Amino acid sequence: MPLLQVQGVTKRFGGVTAVNDASMSAGEGSITALIGPNGAGKTTLFNVITGFEAASEGRIVFDGEEVRGKKPWQVARLGMVRTFQTPVGFPTLSVWDNLMVSGASDEAESLWRAIAGRRAWGPPLESVELRAEEVLRDLGLWDRRDRLIEDLGAGEQKLVEFARQLVNEPRMLLLDEPASGVDPVGIGKLRELILSLKQGGLSMVVIDHNLGFILSIADTVYVLAEGSVIAHGPPDTIAQDPRVIETYLGQTDEEAA
Amino acid sequence: MSGVIPYAVSVFTLIGFYAIVAMLLNLQAGWGGLWDLGLGGLLGAGAYFFVLATATSEAGENLIFTPGWPMWLAILGGAVFTALVAFLIGLPALRLRGEYFLIVTFAFAEMMRQLVVNEPNLANGTVGFTELQRPLAGSFAPNDYKYFLLGLIAVLVVLTYLLMRRIGHSPYGRMLRAMRDNEALALALGKRVTRRRTQLRVFSGFLFGLAAPLYIWHIRAIVPAMYGPDITFTTWTVLVVGGIGAVAGGVVGALVLVGITEALLFIPVSTEHVDLLGGSKPFLLGLALIVMLRLRPDGVVTERWTFRKDRGPVAEGVKKRIQTVVGT
Amino acid sequence: MQNIIFGLVTGSILALGAVGFSMIRQTEGFLNIAHGQYLTLGAFMGIVFMQDVGMNVFLAGVLTAITIGLIGVVLARVIFDPVRKQGALVLLFTSVGLAYAIYGLAMAIFGTGVKLYSVDFGASFDVGSASMTVGEAVIIALSLVTVLGLWLFLTFTPLGTWVRAVATNPQLARVRGVRIQLVSSTVWFMSAGLAGLSGMLLGVMGSASIELGWHNILVILSVAVLGGVGRIYGVVAAGLLLGLVMSLSGQVIEIKYQTTVAFAVLVLVLIFRPEGLFAVQRRREQTA
Repeated sequence: MPLLQVQGVTKRFGGVTAVNDASMSAGEGSITALIGPNGAGKTTLFNVITGFEAASEGRIVFDGEEVRGKKPWQVARLGMVRTFQTPVGFPTLSVWDNLMVSGASDEAESLWRAIAGRRAWGPPLESVELRAEEVLRDLGLWDRRDRLIEDLGAGEQKLVEFARQLVNEPRMLLLDEPASGVDPVGIGKLRELILSLKQGGLSMVVIDHNLGFILSIADTVYVLAEGSVIAHGPPDTIAQDPRVIETYLGQTDEEAA
Repeated sequence: MSGVIPYAVSVFTLIGFYAIVAMLLNLQAGWGGLWDLGLGGLLGAGAYFFVLATATSEAGENLIFTPGWPMWLAILGGAVFTALVAFLIGLPALRLRGEYFLIVTFAFAEMMRQLVVNEPNLANGTVGFTELQRPLAGSFAPNDYKYFLLGLIAVLVVLTYLLMRRIGHSPYGRMLRAMRDNEALALALGKRVTRRRTQLRVFSGFLFGLAAPLYIWHIRAIVPAMYGPDITFTTWTVLVVGGIGAVAGGVVGALVLVGITEALLFIPVSTEHVDLLGGSKPFLLGLALIVMLRLRPDGVVTERWTFRKDRGPVAEGVKKRIQTVVGT
Repeated sequence: MQNIIFGLVTGSILALGAVGFSMIRQTEGFLNIAHGQYLTLGAFMGIVFMQDVGMNVFLAGVLTAITIGLIGVVLARVIFDPVRKQGALVLLFTSVGLAYAIYGLAMAIFGTGVKLYSVDFGASFDVGSASMTVGEAVIIALSLVTVLGLWLFLTFTPLGTWVRAVATNPQLARVRGVRIQLVSSTVWFMSAGLAGLSGMLLGVMGSASIELGWHNILVILSVAVLGGVGRIYGVVAAGLLLGLVMSLSGQVIEIKYQTTVAFAVLVLVLIFRPEGLFAVQRRREQTA
């Protein structure tokens, strides 16, 4: 059974239908892509899946459990974590602190332990500290661990966004436009990173506009337009699908004008 | 010259009070991001509870509540009561963002104050109380009590500072600042934001309630007018000037602001100039706020400086221990 | 019925005060807490013009509005412009500082006492089972005329169109060549001017004291929020409505709780309908 199953999800805002009867599934250990023009409903779908918006209709099943109607923090604790388009993070905190906040348990962050002092809150954090160091070294961020997020460059911030989600060892990562604003060299490194994460067993759903990037990493691609899934399949098939080409060509024509 | 020392004692007592309240406000507003403009209401709730709880039927003929509790119970009860009030206000308020949270907390504070004014049987309305119980009042000559109070407040300032510092530099404090910085991300990482904020409201309310009686012990009276916008905005200005997000912000701000404005008030003036002098305090306060926000909005002591050492792995010792155990 | 009349009168004065506040929120993007102090200044300016300069009430009213309007523009340029880029909360707290500074100045200049206007309200006439004075009728009419004038200005003049453009979409307006600074000064002039006028009317109806500003800022806030901050006509309607509610509630609850009623209404509206009573449903669309 696929790790994530979305069945017939519809999302309406007043008179506007942002997502219309969308269905998709993402298997464990695979990379699933969501592509489509601006306004097609991709981020809305993410929001609905992760509980930031309530679905008007449909089912969402993650790891065998019905997650429609759950709050964002509940979905996150089940192991489905998302990134945001602009990786603002926690700007006044350092890279290290960002990861520590991400990984810290309720126990470690308890108010009572805070009052009691380091002896009380130190031990629950030890495993998180080890994990945080591991992730930072893997991503080459270790030497910048004490920099504040707001002092970092855009590329580094995106990397920290990854690191932050990884600390929690999620089952599935939903990536919202990871390649936007990244230069070709960076995109190459991003591809490497994503593929190596996949090797490690992480499942991912990725939204992006960069077709080349998407087609080179995805196992399955879903195409959204005006809220509906108009096509899905392996990358090669999708790249040749006339409907997809038309949607994207239509888009680029507008952009050129 | 002999008049200067009692004036100085009075000024420093007030400085101490504002330092404590501003540090408590920093927890809720500076780190927690809950911009509470209903501070006056919370302090008033705690203070009035104390007064009413310790009141006996001698205090007023028409009063409904006169249980005559011992002081320690009244203080504790006041803290619990204020926590409850903060919680109740938080129920509607925490659903609202930014400016609306400000407005609602402000509105509730005003409503509470008007309730006291409009119902004389509750707490003597605008007349208030002037006979107040103060801790260890019997042990000091009336003129010497103020030195004891100053000492008491000084100790409490230090304790508050230490407590706030401890909380600030803990994972809990870090989580608060993270939630403040980016609520959506915190949610996406599994933080129970609403629950944490409610917890913060209740805890802050409790602490405000504990601190509340200090003000009336200093003023030696309680009337509803003491808990209007004035005390709220003064505390906010103290915090903003001193440094919002910094533990020491409240202390520095209180020293600077309250020190200057209160010291001015003790200049003896003729009746013609009373209003001029009276107007100088809000004027200076307002000016200080405007200038600070323009030139150094982070305050004298900044949050960045406060947490400058907190950025990397804290438990180096722990790490070494684990490495030896794991054999890395 | 008498309550209805009184409610309309206070409501129209509140509406005048709140419209300006709402406009600033819409075009400048923050809640100007110092707005209340413009009312206070207006209340005292009116007395100065009438008693010290010897004008009649109408001329004093016009001049008060203009004077406070100009003060508003100057303060906006000097105090608020330098901190614009720091965001709405900094602007809000700066306005708090300004409110305090003005309050302090007012205390120093005008003293803590209460001053009274000596205005003849004219003859009473019957309206149904109640009576109304000419003066009260004038006040209601004045508010309606002002709103009408505002509507005409916003709809038919080029500057008014620019104001509406900036209120709806500042970035687009800038791109289209709208002179933002001019619009900003215009809005500040109108906002402060209306506040000054409103303050003077409050003084005429009751008395002038430096506490006027603080007493009314919350009620004005309530009116602005109720009307759906930014919807000018909604704010006017909300002002009248709130005035009526407060006045009529006097039948059921005691008068002294009128402002409490106003705040309770505010809190309830914020909980159940934060976009205001009269706002048109406008949902944000998510872009993928």
